[in-house]
Amino acid sequence: MDLLHLGSYTLSSRLILGTGKFSSASVMLEAVKASGAELVTVALRRFNREQPGDDLFTPLTSIPGITLMPNTSGASTAAEAVHAARIARELSGSPFIKVEIHPNPQHLMPDPIETYEASKILAKEGFLVMPYIPADPVLAKRLEEAGCVSVMPLGSAIGSGQGLATAEMLRIIIRESNIPVIVDAGLRSPSEAALAMEMGCDAVLVNSAVAVAGNPPDMAEAFAEAVAAGRKAFRAGIMEKSGLAAATSPLTSFLGSEA
Amino acid sequence: MHKMPQIITIQVNGEPFTLPGGSSVSDLLAGIGPEEKTVATVVNDNIVRPENRPAASLEEGDRVEILIFAGGG
Repeated sequence: MDLLHLGSYTLSSRLILGTGKFSSASVMLEAVKASGAELVTVALRRFNREQPGDDLFTPLTSIPGITLMPNTSGASTAAEAVHAARIARELSGSPFIKVEIHPNPQHLMPDPIETYEASKILAKEGFLVMPYIPADPVLAKRLEEAGCVSVMPLGSAIGSGQGLATAEMLRIIIRESNIPVIVDAGLRSPSEAALAMEMGCDAVLVNSAVAVAGNPPDMAEAFAEAVAAGRKAFRAGIMEKSGLAAATSPLTSFLGSEA
Repeated sequence: MHKMPQIITIQVNGEPFTLPGGSSVSDLLAGIGPEEKTVATVVNDNIVRPENRPAASLEEGDRVEILIFAGGG
């Protein structure tokens, strides 16, 4: 059985789903079910009595086999992220935390320094820390040493649909990492998720590509199939590229040939 | 002569909110509506766990945050 190990947890699905940007909670829930995801991300927000339907706690936790991974989005410093993580853990009952600290709404690039500081503190407090990071091999290694259970480098900017713009850096991170590498952000289509898995990523986290699709549950299922196919291909061993042709059919003894 | 119940003003999610003095965090939630188990409560930056809410008395000027899990990636 090919399982994904994150701290003390083992997951059979390598697709992690975000829950933002869906047209409604019911569509999001259908997509989560169709994706087969066992880990889903949620954001911590103020309760608004005018919009009680925003509360996803009960609908999500009533899906069997789902574990919540709250994120710290909205935090722009390590201190804010640590505070949010502690609150989120009280509510989720889950040790997972996605450390997400992006101070600039224009590009949403993660702040590596604050992310590192928050991750170090939270790992010491027993959280299963999953930091969302720039695709930086040095930072990824430092976070591994700080006790994170995975690193989640971005493929491209959040919600951009630019795919695996960081592919070469991701390859280095994957080669060097002793903890699971999860591509988080930027994926647009299932083929990109499959490619990430073929490169040796351990999982992908997808939100926008599913949430804004014409049919989110079908797109969730398509991503699940692509992730499974990419993973299987990676494990099966992908052929090397060559600059020269190599025939797959015999080139001799053709019908009517002299030889 | 009746003693008027004391009214206190606190901040709830950044907005002013009045309620009778001596109210607890549980009383506040009961008045506002969310189910206890689906929200996290923070008073003056300190997390108040569900089991401690009935005994957590609110004081004039307290800053209360009531937080939920909403959609996010």
